[in-house]
Amino acid sequence: MSVARRLRLTAAPLAALLALATAAGAAEPAQVHVHETEAPAALPGGSLYQLGVTLEPAGGARVPLESLRGGPVVVTMFYSSCTTVCPMLTLAMQRVAAALDEGERARVRFVMVSLDAARDTPARLEGFAADHHLQRPPFIVAHAAAADVRAIAAALGIRYRQLPDLSFSHSSIITLLDRDGVPVTRTAVLAADDPGFVASVRAQLR
Amino acid sequence: MRGRYPGFVLAALAGAALAAPAAERVPVPAGDFAPVVAPGNDVKTVHVAAFELDRRPVSNGEFLRFATAHPSWRKGAAPALLADGQYLAHWAGAAELGAGAEPEQPVTHVSWFAARAYCAAAGGRLPTWYEWEYAAAADETRADARRDPAFRERILAWYAVPSSRRLPPVGKTPTNFYGVQDLHGVIWEWVEDFGSLMISGDSRTQGDPDKLQYCGAGALAADIRDDYPILMRMALLSSLEANFTTTNLGFRCASGGSP
Repeated sequence: MSVARRLRLTAAPLAALLALATAAGAAEPAQVHVHETEAPAALPGGSLYQLGVTLEPAGGARVPLESLRGGPVVVTMFYSSCTTVCPMLTLAMQRVAAALDEGERARVRFVMVSLDAARDTPARLEGFAADHHLQRPPFIVAHAAAADVRAIAAALGIRYRQLPDLSFSHSSIITLLDRDGVPVTRTAVLAADDPGFVASVRAQLR
Repeated sequence: MRGRYPGFVLAALAGAALAAPAAERVPVPAGDFAPVVAPGNDVKTVHVAAFELDRRPVSNGEFLRFATAHPSWRKGAAPALLADGQYLAHWAGAAELGAGAEPEQPVTHVSWFAARAYCAAAGGRLPTWYEWEYAAAADETRADARRDPAFRERILAWYAVPSSRRLPPVGKTPTNFYGVQDLHGVIWEWVEDFGSLMISGDSRTQGDPDKLQYCGAGALAADIRDDYPILMRMALLSSLEANFTTTNLGFRCASGGSP
């Protein structure tokens, strides 16, 4: 435990160096994820980072999903033109974030990946994030290529189908990943607080 | 023998000895058709763009060559997120098929992720559900034989065969209208958008997602209510998770089109 604590203290300068070393990081200093920089141990078999997919965050450069490794991640999938369940999904994400104190919140990433690969361009998602006050960090609203969207949804057990009017029928699930990307728990409670889910996020910060 | 030759030599020898034909992809022309489950309340047909579909499902022999060339997909190597513990369970080892898996039999015990990786390496992709359903509507002489009770009964007869039966080799069933074989009567097949099946247009309201998935709304909305063969396939696919691997579930690849 003391080793972990020491690593945490040294993480900030290391992360800054890493940021300078990569174009994506250099362009997006605000997105640098300050976490323990333990030597890159092998990914657990159940980690979402096994997917090898890429995110294109609103207003940012493309990053591998695996760049989120190191801290807990709260992830869901939505689409920006959705007028039915997605606004509730967005509110539910914000509710989880608001339930944490500032220090806790800074160590968690809240990731919203669009199901609408064709229409939710990073520019459009930037507008969505601004409209909904989803500040980065801790929020990351992201576009991904269609094939990557299918892989992420499949790994999260999210079912979806585009309807003839271009809207989507989709399951609304929020999943918590541990610092290595392994799903820990998930919730489908959108309309009210889910204290159990928030407690699970906190447990990942210990 | 085992001790004297490294695994890759054995795998190469096995590969050379496999008589499995190289995947042959046949063109399927564009068309409009009415899927069993309509895409929307007011939309009954879909347009399928011209695409190419593998004539046969991928065989054990073909998959062994792929896994040998892509070590992260060898038996025992794939991470749990991408393939469950039964991945290639019927193979003798990472580099050999053994007695339980003949080179000419369709490969099974493969996950959706594994099937996708194979197709990407083969210069293609998994077919979409509509592409699969469109191609599978054909019998030997007609593009759409679904209204013919004899066609349906022939398919249903296969469903009655116990799943413990030894799988036949690929490429032995009659060639259909498009030149494709084994769409019925051999195995279940993964499709790229298996996660889109059995979600009704009404599920955008909040509720238990599992309940929504399996509530049967899709089945109730079916236009061809007695097309059990296709509905059974949709029900099976909708019950899967992407890392599942099962005894009679394999795949074939497609390319072109507009997935």
